[in-house]
Parts: sequence; structure tokens; C-alpha cells
Amino acid sequence: MVYFIGNVLPYITVAIFLGGLAWHLWRWTAPRIPHFVALSPFPKTWAGSVGFIVWQILVFWNILKFDRRLWVGAWPFHVAIGAILGGHVLGIYTLGTQFHMIFPYAITEALSESMSVILGKTFGIIFVAAGAYLLYRRFAYDRVAAVSAPSDYLHMFLLLAIGGLGVYMRFVPAASLHYEEARHFLAGLFLFKPEPLPDNPFFLLHFLLVQILMIIFPFSKLMHPLGMLWNRWVVNRPYEEPAMGLPGVQLVPPAGVMYEDSGRTIRVEHWPRFPVKGV
Amino acid sequence: MGHHGPTPEGFRRIPTWEVAKQPAERPKKPATPKTATKKTLHELGIVEVPDEHKVQAALERLHEQIKQRRSYMLAMESCVKCGLCQENCHTFLGTRDPDDSPVGRADLIRKVWKRYFTVQGRLFGKLVGAEDLTLETIQKWLAYFYHCTECRRCGHVCPFGIDTCEITMLGRQVLYWLGVVPALHADSCAAIHRLGNNMALTKSGAVDTLEFLSDEIEEERGFRVEFPVDKPDSDIVYVPSSADFMLNPDTLKGAALFFEYIGANWTITSRMIEAGNFGYLVDQYRTQRELVTRLLESAKQLGAKKIVWGECGHGWRAAKQYARTMADVNGIWHIPIVHIHDEIASYIVTNQLELDPSRITRPVTLHDPCNYARACGHVENMRIIIRKCVSEFREMYPNGERNFCCGGGSGVLFDDPEMYPMRIRFSQKKAEQIRETGVPDGPDGGILCAPCSICKAQFYPMVEEHELNVEVKGLLDLVGKALVFRGKETSGGKKW
Amino acid sequence: MPFIEVAGQQIEVDEDGFIQDPSKWTPEVAAFLAKGEGVDNLTDDHWKVVNYLKDYYEKHGIAPMIRKLCKDTGFTLKQIYELFPTGPAKGACKIAGLPKPTGCV
Repeated sequence: MVYFIGNVLPYITVAIFLGGLAWHLWRWTAPRIPHFVALSPFPKTWAGSVGFIVWQILVFWNILKFDRRLWVGAWPFHVAIGAILGGHVLGIYTLGTQFHMIFPYAITEALSESMSVILGKTFGIIFVAAGAYLLYRRFAYDRVAAVSAPSDYLHMFLLLAIGGLGVYMRFVPAASLHYEEARHFLAGLFLFKPEPLPDNPFFLLHFLLVQILMIIFPFSKLMHPLGMLWNRWVVNRPYEEPAMGLPGVQLVPPAGVMYEDSGRTIRVEHWPRFPVKGV
Repeated sequence: MGHHGPTPEGFRRIPTWEVAKQPAERPKKPATPKTATKKTLHELGIVEVPDEHKVQAALERLHEQIKQRRSYMLAMESCVKCGLCQENCHTFLGTRDPDDSPVGRADLIRKVWKRYFTVQGRLFGKLVGAEDLTLETIQKWLAYFYHCTECRRCGHVCPFGIDTCEITMLGRQVLYWLGVVPALHADSCAAIHRLGNNMALTKSGAVDTLEFLSDEIEEERGFRVEFPVDKPDSDIVYVPSSADFMLNPDTLKGAALFFEYIGANWTITSRMIEAGNFGYLVDQYRTQRELVTRLLESAKQLGAKKIVWGECGHGWRAAKQYARTMADVNGIWHIPIVHIHDEIASYIVTNQLELDPSRITRPVTLHDPCNYARACGHVENMRIIIRKCVSEFREMYPNGERNFCCGGGSGVLFDDPEMYPMRIRFSQKKAEQIRETGVPDGPDGGILCAPCSICKAQFYPMVEEHELNVEVKGLLDLVGKALVFRGKETSGGKKW
Repeated sequence: MPFIEVAGQQIEVDEDGFIQDPSKWTPEVAAFLAKGEGVDNLTDDHWKVVNYLKDYYEKHGIAPMIRKLCKDTGFTLKQIYELFPTGPAKGACKIAGLPKPTGCV
């Protein structure tokens, strides 16, 4: 069983994860978009469009603007996920010396490792606390509870279990697993020369739950980070309005000048100088 | 103007802050609009699918639709149910029914989609929130998708940009093919196929109405403005908003006065005589296409170089965003379609129009129609115009892209005893906003500027139900009033 | 489809009570429909509005603009609402045998 979880299941997991991801992204990209840009703020250029989407991703702008009580849970939660994922990749690959590698003269290897540990603990706690808050919110708001399915709670339980185990391993020396052991095991998997799982029940459980998460990821709402990008492309693509100015009129405003009023630029042109693009 | 019945007994207007204290609960039976008669459906070329085949037919249509449109597909699969949209939806604020919130409404289809067309739903069913499609659910679709006013406030606030309005459009389209259509929408669509417009206007009736408007302008201002219909070799085809011919004559007069002022060679086309497009609201495939095709064809026939759109919200979106992709015409005709507000604003910022704000002395507040603010970006232009036209302009809050819907959007203008109270309830938030501006408190009341025919049709009864002392007007009404025709007019008419 | 029975004749109406075939309209039908709209007795003023609507519909195939109705009959909108409590579009047009208005009204 341990052999299966440690050395067979990971390959199945990754196959399902990547296959599911690819299938869903194809399924999302194949249908056509029958209409032009749909929602404010109507960026006119690529830069404006990308800037808006990046801004949304970085600060969760809509949540911040419209629901602060959700934001105080959601934003730290996702920042912690980002940090933890990055920490896992860098920390395990460099054996905790990632900060030394970035600033070789300022940070010693030992300092880097202890930084890695402290940051890991901090973000782990943020992750669990914010996750618990989000879970509480789902129970406590009757309007949110009314639209929640069992899986909405289970996803959060799964994430909290994974995070909780991670934090536990960080804080309890007897349960912890050192970078070398983890790297040794993972390198075996990546190089198709599977090594036995480290003898640590907490790690076993942590590793198993992560695999379950990866298996259900493409088939659940956990796909939402990608869904956001695909959605925003539909509603926030750049779109150029036709220029102003009416054909065949006697009273014609001076053309080719940009007029600004209340933050909106209006481009007035004479007929028939309309840009074909966006017309 | 107000072809509604009296408010049913027992119905009380409850402020949204009172409603917010109630638990979020699903009612036993949601208010459902009356459906169309067989005769109307026959006119539209559809027959109601018998009950024993309905579920199967609905599933086939759903699948076919969702895999064709990216917005549908993404709305199905990327919601996390954070609940952010709920308190930003005027229907939920008015009813506290979770199914009347964007996420709940979308779930009515999402559950079915999960159950039949996703791996997780087929394997785990209820655990992941998948549910079998039943006739009961279809009945719920009819209720809830016609409570939604397609205002897109949910799409605007959604962290992922999920456009829940698209799900309403999907639900309504599937219901249409099942032969389950509210009478109001079906009758309007039938009128489109019969006469080419939602209001069943005839050319002779329209011409007669326009002559009447010419006479009115002459009486008020002392000069005549003609309303050309089907004039060949026109540079501009103007598409007036639908109820301009029935309820809002000042809006149409405002447009004509503007064209007169700048000396445009314009015309109205009888083939696309008004801007409304109920096809966009229930049946995009045949009815909306019919109208956008008519639009481009008639503009081409009359030699127009630009199409100028009147004060219509949903019709403007239907034309601006779909005309070029949907019209059934040979080749792509590069006839630009612009909104008259944008054009007027461009004249105002270049200081070309002489406007006299002292003609409109009552305080004015502006309701941003959803389709302008959130779907087409007119927020600033409407303000550029209104500030120049009136003596006292007061914003209502929240405004612009964050504005709340009037409660009647997307043709939720039902007047049956079941739906009419819902309409008034949906407009509760709006009434609070208007009241807070203080505009209705003046000695002569105030003016509520709502530049969209559906908004106006909703506001006429709504301001009375909520006892708001305001007169409902369009933005072009104000422009027409404020425009000064030096050397031409004998008076500016009565002060507003 | 519901029916109403007036003077021994069955007339088809839609679910809101608008008669389906304008040619079936008679003054008796008008009086019958008026009762449903809260008008018990059709006075000369009522008939003035009803006949105007009817003539206009026969000529142009649509109901007139409400302002035109007021101007041509000489009543103010308020008076029309007093005559027809359910309003000009629903009440008066129904009594005059016009179809139910559609679209953004």
C-alpha cells in the first residue's frame, strides 16, 4: 500500500492532473465568442486589458472593492498558497538555500534555511487560519450556505488537512521531514527511478492528500484561477470604439483632436476617416 | 403609461435594510410570469414540447448551446460560490431568495450541467452539487430567469468576471425552444416577425405620430422640424427607441432637434423603425438575427454611412455587440453603429452646441441604464451632456458602473398580479437611491433622467408605487429642451 | 383560449381579456369588457375615448401615442385615468378592442 501511494499513484495522479487540465482548457477554448467586449472598464489597448487583469489577480480588486469581509480571508489565503507552493519548489530543490542563492553575499546558507523555516511556518499558519475563516464564512452566512454543495465544504476540509499536516510537521520536530529526505524521494519520482517513501506517517498522509487534491483539481471548482483568465478574456478584451463625427452634417467639430472631459477622451474625426478596425 | 393593475392587497413595500434581516429562504413557489398562448407560439414557429419529452429536449439544447459559446461554458465551470454577487444583486436585495441571487440562479442550470455533462457530476452526483433535471426545475427556470433583469451587476462585481447574465440568456433561449415563453416576450417577438418591430408599429401609424411630433415642436418652439422616414440617400439612419412612439415623445423630439441643429441628412427607416430587440432577450437565433439583419440591410438600402442609435438600452447592446457577428447579410458592411449620446457628447466637448440650462430648473438625477454603464461604457458621456443641459444635477449613489438596475430590465415588465409586485420589489433599492438624492423633495418635485425605454416603462409605475415625486424623462428630452436655436425659435417652451 | 359570452355570441379573448379578433368588437362587447376594468357605466366621455382609439386603430393599425390621444380628445392624462382606472393602454385600449401592447411599455 505504501509502495502504491509512494511509487505508483504519483504517476497516475500526474497523468490525470495534466490530462484533465488539457482536456478542460481545450473544452473552454473551443467554443466561439459571438459578441464583442462585454463589461466595464472597456480597455482600448492590449496594455490596458492585461494591466486590468493583472491588477485583479494581484490584489483581488473586485473582492476588495465590493466585499471587505470576504477579502480579509480570500486574499491572505491565496497569497499563502502562492508562497507555500513557491516555497515547496524552491526549498526542496535548493535544500532551503534559496535565499542564499538569490543574495549570496548577504545571506548565509544557514540563515537562508532558517528563513525558509520561519516563512514556511508563517504562511502555513496564515493559510490554515484564512482557510478556516473562509470555511466558517460558508457555514455562517445563510445566503452562502444556501447555495453551497457538500463538495464546497469538502474541498476546504481537504485543503485544511493538507495545510494542517504541513504546519504540524513544521512545528513538531518528531514529525518533521528534512529537505534532503523529501528531495531524495521526489527526485526519484521525477527521474523515473522511484525511491521508497520516507518513513513518516505524517508525510505519507500529506503526500496522499495532495495527490487526491491533484486528481480532483481539473474536475472541480479548484480550476477557478484558470477560469478567471479565460473569463476575463471574454469580458475584458481590448475593444476600439468607432470614432465620433457624423457624415454629411453642416456643423462639424474640428477633427483629429483629442478632447478630454472628466477623464474620458473623445476622438473626433471627419467622415469618412473612420478606423476600419473596431468599426 | 402605467397599464398596470392596482398593487395587490397584502403586498407591502419592504425597504432592503429590513429585508436584509430576514433569513435567506426559498419560497414554496416563486412568482412566475404568464406564458404565451399556443397561437402566439405558432406565429413564432414553435410548439410547446410535451411534458414527457421536455427534460430530454432541454438537455439536448443545453448541451448544444453550452459547447457552442465560450461565455456559457466558462460560467458553468469556474464559479467558486463565494457569494460576492448575492448582495450586489437587486433581486436578492429585494427578496432574500437564494435562487434569486446570481449564483443561485446560475446554479439552476449549473447543477444540471454537472449532472449530465461533467465527469465529477456523473460519478458523485449530489456530493458535488449535481442534480437531475426535472419538470419542476424547468418551471423554476421560467420563474427565475425572468426575475433576472440581465443588468450584469453580478458580472461587474464577480472576481472572475463570470457574466451570469449569459446564463440567463442561455436559460431563456432553451426555454424558448421548449415553447415556454412569457406572454410579453412571445408577443413582442411575434410582432417582430409580423411587422419588424417589438411594438407592432405600422409605417402609417409611425408617420402619423411623427407628424404629430412635428406639430408639437412647431407649437412649442415656433419652427418646424421634419422627421424623414425612408428618405433615400440619407447619410445617417437613426433608430429611435421603441416607446418613443408611444410614451416618450420628448425623447424622439430631442433627437430630431439635435439633427436639425447640426444640419444632418438623416432618416428613420421603416424596416427597423425602433431600437428594441426582444429577440436578444429570449431568442437570439432567429429573432435577434432578424432585426440586426434588417438594420444593416435597410441602412445599406438608404445609402447610410453611419447608423445612430437612440435611447434604448438592451437594443443598443444587441446591435453594438452582435450586429456584425450575427447579421445574415452577404459580406461585411462597414457601416459604423454609434450611440447618439456619444455623438452629442463629442459636440459638447468641442463647444459646438448652445445649450441653455436655465430652461430646466427642477433638480435632476440620472439613472445609469445597465446596458450603457456596464456593457457599453457611456457613463462619462451621459454626464458630459446632462451637466450642460440642466441647472441642478445631483448624482445618485452608487452610480456609473456600480449603479443598480431599475428592476424592469430585459423586458421584466410583466403586469400580472404575480409578477408585478416582484417588479416593484426589485426596484426597492433604486427607490432608496432616488430618495437619498433629495430630488423628489423639491416643491415641484424633480426629474428622474432614465435614458432607456425599459427603464422608463419600469419607472412610470414604480415612482408612483414608491411615492417618489419625480417626472421620468430621457436624456435626449433634456438636450432637445436646452438646445438654443438662435434666429429660429420664438420661445424655449415651457420651463421644466 | 378563454372565451367571453356577450349577447349570445362567443368571443375569443387572450388571458388578459383582450379580444383576439377586432372585427368581433361591438358596443355590447365594450360594455362587457369595461366592467372588468372597473368602469361600470360607459358615459359619453368614455365613448369619446373608446371611439377615438378604435378609429385610430382602424386607420393606422396601432394605438395612438398617449399624448396625441389626450390632445385629440381634449382630456388630460389625469382625466383619462379617472375615466379608466387601469390606464389608457390597458383599460381604454382593451375596451376599444385593441390588442395588448407589446415591447417596452
